[in-house]
Amino acid sequence: MTPREAFDRYHQAVYRFVYRLTAREDLAEDITQECFLAFVRAPQRFDPTRGSVKTYLFSIARHLALKQYRDDREHEQLDGEELAAVEPDGGWEISSAVAKAVADLPALQQESLILFQYEGFTLEEIADVVSADAGTVKSRLHRARERLRRALAAYREVGNENGTV
Amino acid sequence: MKMEPFDGDELSDSELDNLLKKWEAPPAPARLRAAVFPEEPKPKWRRLWSVSFRVPMPVAAALALGLALAAWQWPRPGAPLELVRTERVEVPVLRERVVTRTVYRYRAAPPAQTLKPVAELRPRIIRTPDEE
Repeated sequence: MTPREAFDRYHQAVYRFVYRLTAREDLAEDITQECFLAFVRAPQRFDPTRGSVKTYLFSIARHLALKQYRDDREHEQLDGEELAAVEPDGGWEISSAVAKAVADLPALQQESLILFQYEGFTLEEIADVVSADAGTVKSRLHRARERLRRALAAYREVGNENGTV
Repeated sequence: MKMEPFDGDELSDSELDNLLKKWEAPPAPARLRAAVFPEEPKPKWRRLWSVSFRVPMPVAAALALGLALAAWQWPRPGAPLELVRTERVEVPVLRERVVTRTVYRYRAAPPAQTLKPVAELRPRIIRTPDEE
């Protein structure tokens, strides 16, 4: 796959991934650009035996986003403890509440959840991106969802099809 | 969508999935492509079509004026073509010659009895103005 084909196929997904990690459009744009420039300038660094172009690009983007994350949250632990529930507010939009709940996740859980939930990655693909084994990814994903269940419990939809209210 | 606070149970998987779907990311800006793939240099033969160079204003004005004059002087179709040709020809030149001729008139010699020897010879040298 040529860099142009890779760009056409994945740049939107990489941009969305970084945007959800950083919650900043300017950073998402910069990191996406840097990610594809790295591939354009040195395509020989991609090793097809270690994964697909897709996971290679996402791993570059993840690395750059985590670097930014660490710069921004120097004193925060990457795999922190419980987060407080997001309280519903009168003017609080649900998408903002979800964004905040995901942003409050520890970084390693956050990236796994975003890749799984929003980009449709398999556990193995996520494992390639984050350089971990699939079991670890599954565990992170499980913990992330557990936290979100509690954090977003207050936003249960009234009269939803499951009739849980 | 109408939401209401609910303290207590956790969300089910499907409820959580439905909630997570509400968070949408904006699309990537179109300028990203240009930033990643700047315009590639064209081959030389294609660059010739768009080559340009800077000319100082006075030079450009002089060139424009020269072209306008050349166009104005250019013979129009159908107009007689004036051909000016310079040739060197040999022309016979009539030169007048001024010839000075001294004409002597014959005079009869005086009779011998009228000639007398001179008592004293006094020669006089006459010079032309150039010899002086």
